[in-house]
Amino acid sequence: MIQTLLDALSYGGLYGLAALGIGLVFGVMRLVNFAHGELIAIGAYLMIITIDLGLPLSILIAVAGTAALALLMELSVFKRLRLAGPSVLLIASFGVSIFLQRSYEIIFGALPISGQIAPWMSGVIEFGDTTITRGSILTIILALALLLGMRFLIESTTLGLQIRAASSDFQTARLLGVRSNYVIGAAFVFSGVLAAAVAFVLVTQRGSVDPLFGVNITILALVGTVIGGLGSLQGAALGGFAVGATISLLNSFLGNYRVYTYTWLFILVIIVLLMRPSGLISNKAYKERA
Amino acid sequence: MSNGLLPSRQLMGVTRFQWQQLLGPIVVVIAVSYLTSGVSASFSYLTEGALALLVMVLSLQVFIGNSGVLSFGQAAFAMVGGFASGLLTAPVKIKENVLDGLWEPLKAVNMGIWPSLVIAVLVGALFAFVTGLLLMRLSGLAAGIATFALLMVADNVFFNWKLIGPGPQVMPQVPKFAFVDESIVLTVIIIVVVYLFGISRRGRLLRATREDALAARALGASVWHLRVLFFTVSGGIAALSGAMYAHHAGAVTARDFYLGFTFTTLAMLIIGGATSLWGAVVGTILVTAIGQVLLVFEGGVTFGSVEVTLPNGARGLVIAAALVVILIWRPKGVTGGKEFNLPFLNRKSAAHPDSQVKRTDTSMNIKP
Repeated sequence: MIQTLLDALSYGGLYGLAALGIGLVFGVMRLVNFAHGELIAIGAYLMIITIDLGLPLSILIAVAGTAALALLMELSVFKRLRLAGPSVLLIASFGVSIFLQRSYEIIFGALPISGQIAPWMSGVIEFGDTTITRGSILTIILALALLLGMRFLIESTTLGLQIRAASSDFQTARLLGVRSNYVIGAAFVFSGVLAAAVAFVLVTQRGSVDPLFGVNITILALVGTVIGGLGSLQGAALGGFAVGATISLLNSFLGNYRVYTYTWLFILVIIVLLMRPSGLISNKAYKERA
Repeated sequence: MSNGLLPSRQLMGVTRFQWQQLLGPIVVVIAVSYLTSGVSASFSYLTEGALALLVMVLSLQVFIGNSGVLSFGQAAFAMVGGFASGLLTAPVKIKENVLDGLWEPLKAVNMGIWPSLVIAVLVGALFAFVTGLLLMRLSGLAAGIATFALLMVADNVFFNWKLIGPGPQVMPQVPKFAFVDESIVLTVIIIVVVYLFGISRRGRLLRATREDALAARALGASVWHLRVLFFTVSGGIAALSGAMYAHHAGAVTARDFYLGFTFTTLAMLIIGGATSLWGAVVGTILVTAIGQVLLVFEGGVTFGSVEVTLPNGARGLVIAAALVVILIWRPKGVTGGKEFNLPFLNRKSAAHPDSQVKRTDTSMNIKP
């Protein structure tokens, strides 16, 4: 039971991190970034390839790499689509995502590359008769630390203030002197850093990486971002957490029927969208005209 | 973005019947199909597959192009159609031996390809109607994500539920079309259907809701009714596409209609131009042609003494790059979202104001 709850918490935290990364970019430019998964994948590739240099250096390289790729995406593609609507941006990011997947296939091969990153994460701690994996505790700690860190950054720094201003009303923020390209670039860099954190947790769990490494979690986190609330950062993190925790709980409670986890999850998603089309925590500026 | 003062013929997409707009795409499809399928048996097979994809792109066009609402759900209806037609036509013996969990009445039934196509279309349209009643209450991103959720549910159910299909296995021994002609006939029928729906009163009203939902409402258009109607039509056509694919490949699996399929067909529509029938045709032909050329290069091509071999994955890479480039530089697609038009066939069009009025892109007119 405790393990079930902890799993739900750690899953939720992980998906919350991924959703926050997507939500940050969504907030400033209304892009639902499908290609976030490929940021996660490049982080995992970089970690596995450079793990011989030692874990800290490897993580540093991965963080720098994902942030750089995120910025590259913005400069080469999304910057040129500033006037496009959210649906066009979504399709463009779908294209970027497939483009990067195929690039990874060409560069690293279609087969999974395995590597041991932080094997101590899979150890267990025993409390009486419940065993708890270290990984799930560390994931919760990491997620909490990063969410608090992002909260500090968003609430208490000038850049964060600008990001919040741009999230709630982009045009007005621009008129008041917020440099839009700078803020959007910063949001992409932060989303890259968050993607690297997600990559670290995922790659320690799975021990291998392939071109489609980030697709699954991105689809789910993206859905979480949308049901959490368009344009609200807390909403994004909360939505991602809700999706992750729901998957984990459905997995435990459905028993032999756990293959149908996604069916129930996505039916729930549709119900939430029908009842609250602008998300659980909605931001007035993002209400869409029907 | 309201352009209420402009006469309706300036709106993107067809507004009144013009023979060349309908016959142009039909002639091109028939000509290209017979030219390519005449080359060899493998080209004929390829043409059949491309026609099944074209029908899918037309299904996307009739809904996305007219309503401006992004939908990822059509692949789910293609899945329904492919499985329905496949299960109804596969030999009873094969079903008994391979698909052990299958519902008994489904095991016993066996019919010809043509009746199964009709049933597939009806089942697909019914699914689209029922889901559309709920999903079409949404618009913009919420609609995009909700239809995506629909695709995920369909994939998960078909991949696991052995009562209604092969589950994770392949559904084998689906009878194949004997000739490429069947696919061509079906595609031409769908082109006519899509064109007639596009120029119908309801089609024009739906495009009006795409341009300005509030103004269209003021004219008495029910956005919900119109979208449900076109979603249903689109679902039936998508189901036909799935069925055509099943009878082309001779086998069908749930994963044939998943993210890759969704991406390819959406890319075809957008590269060609989402707001016109002609765009759907051009996009499908272009992407298929590029894909085939690259496929040949992936196998290795020799120029004199130099052998050029592209790595696996180059095809997806180029098509994805083409999609992004088109979205950046020509967001209305290579046809500009216009219908087939030969100027010398239509002298009146010299004075056509389309070319003089610069319009903002409203093909995906979703407001922040």
